[in-house]
Amino acid sequence: MNPSALSASRVADFLRRAIAPAKRAVPGSGETTPSAGKPGPAVSSASLRLTGTGFVDPQALMSIRNLELRARVVVEGFWTGIHRSPFHGFSAEFTEYRQYTAGDDPRYLDWRVFARSDRYFIKKFEDETNLRCYLLADTSKSMTYSSTGYSKREYAATLAATLAYFLYLQGDAVGLLTFDEQTRDYLPARHRTGHLRNLMLALDKPSAGQGTTVGAPFKRLAEIVRKRSLVVAISDFLAPLDRFTSDLTTLAACGHELVVFQVMDPAELNFEFEQPTVFQDLESGRSLFIDPRFARKEYQRRLELHCAALRTACQRLGVAFHQLSTKQPLELALFDFLRKRMQRRRHILRASSARGSPAPSA
Amino acid sequence: MSFLAPLFLLGAAAVALPVIFHLIRRTTREHTPFSSLMFLFPTPPRLTKRSRLEHFLLLALRCLVLCLLALGFARPFFKTEANLPPPSKARRLILLVDQSASMRRANLWSDARDRVRAIVRQTTPADQVAVLLFDRQLTPLVSFDQWNSAPASERAALIEAKLAQTGPGWASTRLDAALIQAAETMADAGGKSVGASGEIVLISDLQEGSRLERLQGYEWPRQVRLRVEALKLKHTSNASIQPVDEAPGGNPSTEGIRVRVSNTSDSKLEQFKVGWAAPDRPGFAGAPLDVYVPPGQSRVLSVPLIPGQPMLNRVLLHGDEDDFDNVAFTLPLEQTRLQVLYLGNDSAVDPKQPLYFLKRSLQETSRQVVELHAPPLTAPLATADIHSASLIVVTDPLSEESAQALRAQVLAGKTCLCLAKNESISGTLAKLVGVGQFPTSEARLMKYAMLGEIDFRNSIFAPFADPRFSDFTKIHFWKYRRLEVDSIPQARVLAKFDSGDPAVVEIPVGAGRILVLASGWQPEDSQLALSTKFVPLVYSILESSGAPLAVPTLYHVGDTVPLGVEAGEGARWTVTSPAGNQEPIPAGQTNYSNTLAPGIYGLTSGQTSRRFAVNLEATESRTTPFAVEEFERLGVPLASQASALPATEKGKSRLQNSELENRQKLWRWIILFAVGVVLAETWLAGRAARTAGSFAVASNSGSGGAS
Repeated sequence: MNPSALSASRVADFLRRAIAPAKRAVPGSGETTPSAGKPGPAVSSASLRLTGTGFVDPQALMSIRNLELRARVVVEGFWTGIHRSPFHGFSAEFTEYRQYTAGDDPRYLDWRVFARSDRYFIKKFEDETNLRCYLLADTSKSMTYSSTGYSKREYAATLAATLAYFLYLQGDAVGLLTFDEQTRDYLPARHRTGHLRNLMLALDKPSAGQGTTVGAPFKRLAEIVRKRSLVVAISDFLAPLDRFTSDLTTLAACGHELVVFQVMDPAELNFEFEQPTVFQDLESGRSLFIDPRFARKEYQRRLELHCAALRTACQRLGVAFHQLSTKQPLELALFDFLRKRMQRRRHILRASSARGSPAPSA
Repeated sequence: MSFLAPLFLLGAAAVALPVIFHLIRRTTREHTPFSSLMFLFPTPPRLTKRSRLEHFLLLALRCLVLCLLALGFARPFFKTEANLPPPSKARRLILLVDQSASMRRANLWSDARDRVRAIVRQTTPADQVAVLLFDRQLTPLVSFDQWNSAPASERAALIEAKLAQTGPGWASTRLDAALIQAAETMADAGGKSVGASGEIVLISDLQEGSRLERLQGYEWPRQVRLRVEALKLKHTSNASIQPVDEAPGGNPSTEGIRVRVSNTSDSKLEQFKVGWAAPDRPGFAGAPLDVYVPPGQSRVLSVPLIPGQPMLNRVLLHGDEDDFDNVAFTLPLEQTRLQVLYLGNDSAVDPKQPLYFLKRSLQETSRQVVELHAPPLTAPLATADIHSASLIVVTDPLSEESAQALRAQVLAGKTCLCLAKNESISGTLAKLVGVGQFPTSEARLMKYAMLGEIDFRNSIFAPFADPRFSDFTKIHFWKYRRLEVDSIPQARVLAKFDSGDPAVVEIPVGAGRILVLASGWQPEDSQLALSTKFVPLVYSILESSGAPLAVPTLYHVGDTVPLGVEAGEGARWTVTSPAGNQEPIPAGQTNYSNTLAPGIYGLTSGQTSRRFAVNLEATESRTTPFAVEEFERLGVPLASQASALPATEKGKSRLQNSELENRQKLWRWIILFAVGVVLAETWLAGRAARTAGSFAVASNSGSGGAS
């Protein structure tokens, strides 16, 4: 399914169908209770230009200077697309009890509740209520490229802010690590007052470095974060991939759930230049005289090979890979993110139920 | 249209370059930032079917520039009948041939004659040629008039015959004076009016001893050019010898004579031998001295006299390759003896008396001995004493007999100096002059008197004529006597006091004269004896009295030798040259200037005889040639070699074309036009680049929006 071709209503329908089977697969789970996280203030979508599909036009979205506000607009827009129904986060399901009835598996009796109330209750499958998520944001010079009026950096920052805001609303702890040719800023995963603000400020910082190293931040994060977390990497990954696989493997081996977003500019993807000109590398400063008419084909071939290698490396490690064009509405990116996570969790739950063991925490 | 350098037209083939560059041009220099070039390779310039010629006007302009440059360098000119230059103009040539002593070396003179012969052969009947010889002075050999008056076919023979009668002399090289005179001769000959170009051809060895200083301040005539025909020798090692000072006279010295040995800077020899020349055979008279002189340096050494051979007067140098300057002539200085008779009552040891100062001013030197004889006035004056004295000084009144005896000698030609110490001298003065009275009176002075008016033309004061020495105002006279000379018509006042009274009077008496000083020179009367002018004044009076003072004996070739006062009436000087020829000197001539060759000369006049030595000037021995560019540095324009007439027809035609092109100078206009085309191309290219750049930006932003 190509999310970019979907309208908002169809996305909402899909989500409802997607969410329900995942919940039935969880043993001992009951009806879900409303999420403790409250939805943010509703942002009037009328104030924003919507695309033909009903999503916020990225051009208009980027005109909002405040990063946090942008994130809210995306999240609100996402929720609006699913008929304003409160949406309980995928990552957390609240603990719920029901009385024991004959036939229930006595292994799920909650003995603590029995000790307190002297009554038998079946403990609902307890998900991890405090998900830790780390956002790895690329702040190198190559991310400052723009052919659409806003740069990849702004798009990636908005995407990271959106995810952070969304997860924060769910009550999850969100951390940040920015990198270029080296690690820049690091914020540990927290869910405290003011932490989201700090995160937004870190995302808004201008680029300091020049080059890009795609594997080192993974390795660095693996050294810092000991507990299992969700790691979302957002970059253009326009750098040699020689150490990418090994560093990604290191992080995956620590038990983290990995999601990779490759953000590309339409001009990078299609190379639709016409006039011969001197192209200058934003990171190295190197210049080359290129006639696009003769260089396009080879460029696209090599770019496709690079992206395929990236995708293959992610697939081998079970890392969710998403390639985004900066022309795409961010709601779709968020949708992709959530859908993939759901698919993964469904897979995990099926596997655990087949073994007859509690599903591991996501 | 013809071309002087047609090969440059091949440069027009470079017009293909702009076409190629035009086809493979990169229309933009704009930079487009891109995220990463890791997937891109540079696009080489390529000519494809899609390449097309744009900006035809720009291409045409660039091609035109290259064609114009090739055309300009090819030096085009129009060769029509009307443009052909008139037949070669007549030239005016002055051949300036060096005949100084340095031209005696090896075959330099024959080379010079050959050069003259070659140049004369290349002249046309319309040309005018003059030949001048120069060394220390300029000597015309063949003038323009002589050349013009001779038939064209006989001109070369005329010059050849004249040259055969001449040869190099012994004089030094005054090249500056020769060039200036030649240039003025050329300018005066009316080069402009005839329309002919003037050229001076210098044929010389260009030895660095040549004088060139006067050329610095000389404004060379514009239409006159100098062409240098330098004469060179294969061997360059030359050393010379010159006497340093005169040999001491009187007592023979064991130290010997001092000579300087100089070696030229381009010499390859360093070891030489110096010694006295044997009088009757070639070679040394005794054992020569070994001398080491590095190139470019000189050494002074003492050549000891040979006992038993006091008459040797030539010092030889052996060991170099040119012997024209290897002999130094020297003579021992003859010390003259003079007598001065002092008639007065002074004491020689009394510093308040005139005799004290006179005795100390007449000191013995190596050149002369002056004996001062002061007999007592009480004794009768011997005629022999007066006769043997060169100068008689009278400071006190004389007896009648002494005055008469003295007057007789003055009439015979002696000079008597009378010092009017007081008024009592008037009687003696009257007797000496031969007048009845010679009034004198004591002058009354406020403070002091000074000499206010001096006749520097007189031989007594002539040595003081130079402004550096002519100031007598610092000499104060406390007392003087007023001399009444108005009654003596033959008296000449040589100097006056500032009051107008005579200070020095000259009264001719017969063949001799009386000099009267109105004041004494002792401190009581004046500061004259204490001034620096006293001694030269005394010697001047002594010399003007006919006393044979010491005469220098060393001269250079071309110098003027003073002869001095002839000994005795009716006697005349006769000069004996080194070759033995005797040359009588006309009466009244006081100098001899025919010192044309080095050697020992003799001067004879009656019983008086003396000798003097003539040597080469040291500068003539500096034979290292100087650079021809030195003339340009001094402001003398040199003629190019092309000014010489070509020998072949092809050469003449080439010269004709060169003259045509030089007159038309079409290349200037072509280059100017090319510059204009370059400016137009630059403006047009800038405009095209701006247009292409704005189009590229618009197309790139449009393509980015479409994706």
